[in-house]
Amino acid sequence: MTWSAAIGRRVAPLLACVGLLAAWQVAALALKNDGFPTAFEAMRAVPAILGDKEALINILASLRRMTIGFAAAVAVSIPLGLLMGRSRAVAAFFNPLLMVIYPVPKAALMPIIMLWLGVGDIAKTLVIFLGVSLPVIYHSFEGAKAVEEKMLWSGAAMGLSSVQRLVRIVLPAAMPEILTGCRTGLVLALITMITSEMIARQSGAGNILFNALDMGQYDTVFAMIIIVGAMGIGLDAAFEKVRARLVRWSEPQFDIPLSFS
Amino acid sequence: MKVLPSRSSEIMAQVPAQQPATAMIEIDRVSQIFQTSARKDHLALSDISLAIEEGAFVSILGPSGCGKSTLLYIVGGFVSPTSGSAKMKGKTITAPGPDRGPVFQEFALFPWKTVLGNVMYGPRQQGVRATEAEAQSRALIEMVGLKGYENFFPKELSGGMKQRVALARTLAYHPEVLLMDEPFGALDAHTRTRLQNDLLNIWERDRKTVLFVTHSVDEAVFLSDKVVMMSRSPGRIRQVIDIDLPRPRRRTELLLDPRYQKYVVDIERMFDDSDEAGANA
Ligand SMILES: Nc1ncnc2c1ncn2[C@@H]1O[C@H](COP(=O)(O)OP(=O)(O)OP(=O)(O)O)[C@@H](O)[C@H]1O
Ligand SMILES: [Mg+2]
Repeated sequence: MTWSAAIGRRVAPLLACVGLLAAWQVAALALKNDGFPTAFEAMRAVPAILGDKEALINILASLRRMTIGFAAAVAVSIPLGLLMGRSRAVAAFFNPLLMVIYPVPKAALMPIIMLWLGVGDIAKTLVIFLGVSLPVIYHSFEGAKAVEEKMLWSGAAMGLSSVQRLVRIVLPAAMPEILTGCRTGLVLALITMITSEMIARQSGAGNILFNALDMGQYDTVFAMIIIVGAMGIGLDAAFEKVRARLVRWSEPQFDIPLSFS
Repeated sequence: MKVLPSRSSEIMAQVPAQQPATAMIEIDRVSQIFQTSARKDHLALSDISLAIEEGAFVSILGPSGCGKSTLLYIVGGFVSPTSGSAKMKGKTITAPGPDRGPVFQEFALFPWKTVLGNVMYGPRQQGVRATEAEAQSRALIEMVGLKGYENFFPKELSGGMKQRVALARTLAYHPEVLLMDEPFGALDAHTRTRLQNDLLNIWERDRKTVLFVTHSVDEAVFLSDKVVMMSRSPGRIRQVIDIDLPRPRRRTELLLDPRYQKYVVDIERMFDDSDEAGANA
């Protein structure tokens, strides 16, 4: 029973992928539209893109901007969110600011940022930074707010200063919530990365995609979508692995399986 | 009726004569007013004065909401009183410190640390070397009966086990005063009895000053040198009763001891009287 369950867990996502590709293939063959290549054609274009030096440099540049933007956002947002969660004054100062920024699509800020900072790496990285910051701040804030007061009191009784309590009690206690924010942030980083490159068409994965679209190379367009999608799935899965390990102590004890058998 | 005459007198003889002990904790006319969300002032503690001698085991007994926890938090330095002061060894308490170790009813363990990590936390903070802190902590964990659970996370423990870890964690940094807030309140009768015995053994060994909050009359009489009875609305001290029972105390012996029984009955009667007075008012 456990054997078949384990195999099922491995095979199920694979089956879903194959099913999706098969449906795509059938739909594309049925529609016979120039703008809709078959799954086979799109897949065939993937190695072509990854084998092209120019394209590879572009994609790596995208990933670098994304990594820097994400890392900088996390480094700033976690301390800020934790401070907001533990200090009413800090929260009162930053809350209105964040409430204004929150609903604005970060890509909509791109034209202004381009005006100030040009179309280079800095502008794009900044947009990624903004996109990632908000969910990380929000979840750090919520996590810090929820830390049990008696836990902080216990720390104070052991002689921890207020800064030590923030770093050594609030931070680890809020870690599950913080990492939930980071996971959302990672997906947003990928999204803002592509959108920023769509707006500032100069380099990057988004640029390849839209150039191909302009030139009517639809198989390349779809291949890029596959590549970006695979990057997203891969990053998210890798992050989830790390997350699960870091907060092993907080995972629910019993898995309640959601099965149909 | 003669109950265990020879043995108890023997035990009495072993207890050294009471020396003029100095007050470890001095609570001086403490009042605490809370602002409630209804924007009304709530007098939680009214004019509390109490001296706790060094090495004494003092219980605070009273109905829910009479301010027992609040009083403990004031001594801990977690809450500052609206008026009056609490002193430790003559110095006014303004902040928490490792000389006063709280054991909270909610356990408040660090969930990201293992049992060992929790117990080692205080000594490590105090600058004890890792190997030494670990050795001491392992010994403490064994003492509270959790040998073999060193690498468990708090979520993997039962309520009684968590309570033991909380006690070990506080004992680990050697506070001079233990502040225990209904530490056994949430436990089943069997575990409760065991932990009471464990606590008494520990206390009889190193005679820390203990301020112990409880709902249970039995527990207060069994453990304490002194029982402070509180009443509610506003929280006041009704009476302080010295429990003059020999130590070391054995639960099974005490239960048969008429002096113990009398303390329990007297205290329960006093609470009944106040309940009736409250009902008539
Ligand atoms: N932070 C607070 N804000 C407002 N009121 C409070 C606060 N803490 C306690 N109180 C009030 O003070 C009174 C005493 O509370 P406390 O927790 O000290 O009681 P207690 O004797 O420990 O009760 P229990 O036995 O149920 O734990 C209660 O009426 C409570 O409503
Ligand atoms: Mg209480």
